[in-house]
Amino acid sequence: MDSLQSYLIIAAILFSMGIYGVITRKNAVAILMGIELILNSANINFIAFNRFGGMENLDGHVFSIFVIVLAAAEAAVALAIVINLFKNIGSVDVDDADLLQG
Amino acid sequence: MENYSTILALLNLFLPLLSFVILIFFGKKIGNSAHWVALTLIGSSLGIAVSFFANVFVDTGGPILETSVPWFSTGSFSVNLGFLINNEAAIMLLVVALISFLVHFYSVAYMKGDPRYSRYFAYLGIFTFSMNGIVLADNLLMMYIFWELVGLSSYLLIGFWFEKESAADACKKAFLTNRVGDIGMFIGIMILFLSIGTFQINGLIDGVHNGAFAGNMGLLTIAGILVFMGAVGKSAQFPLHIWLPDAMEGPTPVSALIHAATMVAAGVYMLVRIFPILTPGALEFIAVVGGITAIMAAIIAITQNDIKRVLAYSTVSQLGYMIMALGVGAYQAGFFHLTTHAMFKACLFLCSGSVIHAMHHALHELKDHDTDPQDMRNMGGLRDKMPITFWTMLIATLAISGVPFFSGFLSKDAILAGTLSYYHLHHGWTLFLPIAGFGAAVITAFYMFRLIFLTFFGKPANDKVYAHIHESPIQMTFPLILLAGLSFALFFTLPLSVNPIDNHGWFTEAVPMIENAAGLDMHVVEEGIHHAHYTAMGISLMVAAIGIFLAVLFYLLRKVDAAKVAGMANKLKLYNLSFNKFYIDEIYNIIIYKPFLALSWLCSKLDWDIYDQKFIDGWGWLTIKLSDKSGEVDYNWLDQKVVDGFGKITQYFGKTLQSTQNGVVQNYLLGGMLGVLLLIILIQQF
Amino acid sequence: MSNLSSLSFYIPELIIIIAILLVIVLDVIPVCKKYTFPLSLGAILLASVFLWQSYGESHGLFMGMISIDPFSHFFKMIFLLSTFSIILISRYEKQLDSNYSAEYNALLLIVLLGMFLMSSSINLIMIYLSIELVSIPSYILAGMLKNDKESNEASLKYVIFGSFASGLMLFGLSILYGITGSTDIGVVTAALQAIEYPLSIYFPLILILVGFGYKISMVPFHFWTPDVYEGAPTPITAFLSVAPKAAGFAILIRVFYTMFTLEGSVSATLPLTNINWPTLIAVASAVTMTLGNLLAVQQEDVKRLLAYSTISHVGFMLMAFAIISPDAVRAIMLYLFIYLFMNLSAFYMAIFASNKLNAHHINDWDGLSRKNPVLCAFMALTLISLTGLPPTAGFVGKFYIFAELFKHQQFYWLAVVAILNSVVSLYYYFKIIKSMYLVDVEGEVNKIEAHPVVNWSIILFSAQNILFFIYWEPLIGFIEKSINLWSG
Repeated sequence: MDSLQSYLIIAAILFSMGIYGVITRKNAVAILMGIELILNSANINFIAFNRFGGMENLDGHVFSIFVIVLAAAEAAVALAIVINLFKNIGSVDVDDADLLQG
Repeated sequence: MENYSTILALLNLFLPLLSFVILIFFGKKIGNSAHWVALTLIGSSLGIAVSFFANVFVDTGGPILETSVPWFSTGSFSVNLGFLINNEAAIMLLVVALISFLVHFYSVAYMKGDPRYSRYFAYLGIFTFSMNGIVLADNLLMMYIFWELVGLSSYLLIGFWFEKESAADACKKAFLTNRVGDIGMFIGIMILFLSIGTFQINGLIDGVHNGAFAGNMGLLTIAGILVFMGAVGKSAQFPLHIWLPDAMEGPTPVSALIHAATMVAAGVYMLVRIFPILTPGALEFIAVVGGITAIMAAIIAITQNDIKRVLAYSTVSQLGYMIMALGVGAYQAGFFHLTTHAMFKACLFLCSGSVIHAMHHALHELKDHDTDPQDMRNMGGLRDKMPITFWTMLIATLAISGVPFFSGFLSKDAILAGTLSYYHLHHGWTLFLPIAGFGAAVITAFYMFRLIFLTFFGKPANDKVYAHIHESPIQMTFPLILLAGLSFALFFTLPLSVNPIDNHGWFTEAVPMIENAAGLDMHVVEEGIHHAHYTAMGISLMVAAIGIFLAVLFYLLRKVDAAKVAGMANKLKLYNLSFNKFYIDEIYNIIIYKPFLALSWLCSKLDWDIYDQKFIDGWGWLTIKLSDKSGEVDYNWLDQKVVDGFGKITQYFGKTLQSTQNGVVQNYLLGGMLGVLLLIILIQQF
Repeated sequence: MSNLSSLSFYIPELIIIIAILLVIVLDVIPVCKKYTFPLSLGAILLASVFLWQSYGESHGLFMGMISIDPFSHFFKMIFLLSTFSIILISRYEKQLDSNYSAEYNALLLIVLLGMFLMSSSINLIMIYLSIELVSIPSYILAGMLKNDKESNEASLKYVIFGSFASGLMLFGLSILYGITGSTDIGVVTAALQAIEYPLSIYFPLILILVGFGYKISMVPFHFWTPDVYEGAPTPITAFLSVAPKAAGFAILIRVFYTMFTLEGSVSATLPLTNINWPTLIAVASAVTMTLGNLLAVQQEDVKRLLAYSTISHVGFMLMAFAIISPDAVRAIMLYLFIYLFMNLSAFYMAIFASNKLNAHHINDWDGLSRKNPVLCAFMALTLISLTGLPPTAGFVGKFYIFAELFKHQQFYWLAVVAILNSVVSLYYYFKIIKSMYLVDVEGEVNKIEAHPVVNWSIILFSAQNILFFIYWEPLIGFIEKSINLWSG
């Protein structure tokens, strides 16, 4: 299990799971988790490419660390918004938030 | 001299704008003396126009004024702003300024007491400004900009009484319909610009002359037709003519100025300016559109009862004439008709305004708000009450019908000669053009005299109203008299010829036939017109007489007889019947019946029975049916299907698309994801 | 350039960073709270001065992370101007709670910093970071009205769609990194030229387009736009409709012109061999403007109508983007510049109407011209300009785009679509004019005055429509000078 291919396959599976989760789950928190999966699949890609791609510098590692930080920031903001949603409409189901349409 | 003329041209352009600015900002303070401001400034503008016009008689061998300054230039673009006053422009300037001035003058009485009195004059000011801009512009971009501005001012003026729903709708319709044409024009201008690299009209002509489109004349034809689209919109040609009759919702003096004499003629004027770069192919298209418009609008005019609508359709028909003239290469005739038409049609509109004004006041005094003051069926016998209006309107009617000694005879005759010569040159289907021309001439004479008889002759429809009718005040009758005076042929033939049926005069000297740079041999055209001249004159005299005669029979004599004895009507009918049968049978086969019938075959399910009926019935039925059908085509088909249809399609797709935006965020995500897949598939296809 | 020596070229950004920190600190000191507003405005003015001074310089900073060049300077000026105006106008928007004004201003400044970075990033890491730096505070700003259900919903939809789109983009970036072995777009460009299999480039290209397309509301990544614009506080809507759009176009032009063209610079004229993304953009552009217009026709809410109109304008700009040439870039930049002013003035008018009359619906605008004739006249001018009729600057903008399209003699069908669209747009913009002018209200009408700041903002931003129509040559000259990207 030390070839590039297997890591890329894992990343692709994670990516697909993330998209599936984002599109199907009704719970806002679950959707955010799906997004985390997408971001992490990209992280795996970065690190795997850096490790196996014969690259001299550590760009991929650096990139993935930044992504982790940003994912945390994004999650914080998104959760705050979801909490506010719960306060306003008493639900975290995204289908209930359809005031704006048309 | 050059600088002096430039300053004059600038003043001529901007004085009306000054009038607009002053009245818009200080209109409230100036109030009911707004017309003094407007009259002074437009009057000065008229003075300048006269001074330019005087130069028409001085043959300098070049344009009166040609000047341009760079506006912006950057990289591959270089655009200039400038004026080009040649003889055509000088004549057009005078027409615009004169009629604008007279309309201002007339409006003083007509618009008296309107709550937005000063606003009205302000709008007239901005219209005159934009119209002068079109006339003066030496390049197509500048012309296009002013073109849009006249559209805007026309929008404001049609919707002047916006409290009326119909007026608000009409102004929107006019604006939208015009936009359709303008878009075509814009693309056409862009094609010309990108092929030749300039907007200057003279530069374009030189470019075409030097072979910028050599080997690619098809593109030039397309460009010509696209630019012509602008004229189709503005000059109300088929199939975009639908806005003009509705535009009659505006005040009547506005109809006289914008929708009869000047703005609608801008399309014709534009074609006159770019005539040298129109290819024979484009001209053919233009001629056909003009021909269709001329005959169709004339047929519709027969059955209209609203006095202004009759005149509106008549305007459409006459504009069709001008366009057709340009199309067949009779450049001079088209522009000549523009000038003469401006005079007599403005006169007709102002006369109708005078009648409507009188009717309106009479009804107002009687507190009658149900009767329509514009419906001719509510009028009748006004001749004795309004003698000045009657006589001036009669003169203008004679002019539009093409009776000798009046200006319309000369110009219409020249156009008809042009169509005949075109047929002689090309044969085949081009027979349609002279037929449309002569056919429209008969009908024009017929419906114009119908209008005169219904309005001024016969028994008053309502004696009470009749008792309250008064002649309009001097502010209104003075422009009528002046314009009626200018409808005499004499003014256009002096000083070279005093023979009123000979059209060689200062006008033909001032507007010579020019060379066409796009492959049309103008000598052949000129020669052909010359040969066809007398034939055309003969036929046109005949058709005018037929038209007038028919109108007399239908609306003058029958009215008188029918009033006396009810049973006489039948007799009368028989009388007419027998009389006309003899009379029309010859023409029937030559000009009117067959093409009418062919036309009716195309657009209606006309009964064969009618074919067998005696002519008077046939004629009556045929025209009425055709008129209905054309009206139907006009309103139901063009209006509802095309114009509304576009709106409906937009609405429909809008509604459908709205369901994509249903407020559920996960559908958005799904949409985005499907979009990604679609893009990935698409990019591999390209 | 090394990190330390880069700092001297980084003064405008440093000023903004200091201002952000100061605003946050001052906010917690009760006596100083009221100084945060002048401080934010002052910082922006100061940054503008330094930015103006350094115009014309061209360097790569922080070891190839970002670049400063005339191109980014041009966009930074747009960002400064719009942020300044929005901070100013927000003070007079009564929806916003003044208790949170310091946070609000700080967030706007952070977005400003993010946009600065967006317009000048030349490294994949910076591209992702800067987009997130713009997005995350924007989510909060959209939900600034905490107790308003619509505002809350807007921010929820924004954060979900936004992070989804940037997640997809990140995945694309990771693949791009894998096939080229670097995050520096100069190196990436060189590596891409050598790749023979277009299939491996399609995937990252489309995924990157998702991230940028979401920022500029390109169909099919536009879905968030109308909902967020309708729910967010109006000044934020105005802000989002211009500044991040401009930033999105800046990064789109920079990335696509360098990475995905044959020449790899702004003077490019051809896409990478076998990768015909311009046609793709042309299709997207046609769909974008058509969808925006068709849906705008249906709208009765002024803010939502303007949201869809924004989408259709984006379609127009994409039309020029589909033609790879420096002249097309110029047309986009000119259009963005003019669009900035006209859109802001339209939104400010909406702020005025909703503040004074509580008017959101078009019908609420009935007879507005009698209540405030001056502003309505300027609004009418703005709407005419948005439609693109002469004599307004909007016409000039559209003119340049059409001129490019015709000059390059491709995508004639796109021109037809665009022209049909401009007829449709006439309909809904004139719906507002009709409401203001042609519908009369009954009874006595009271004059309503706007606050002088709002009043003059509308008038100034609208008056430019005439100014740039008559005299746009210096503007286009400046833009021409600005089409100058730093490269290696």
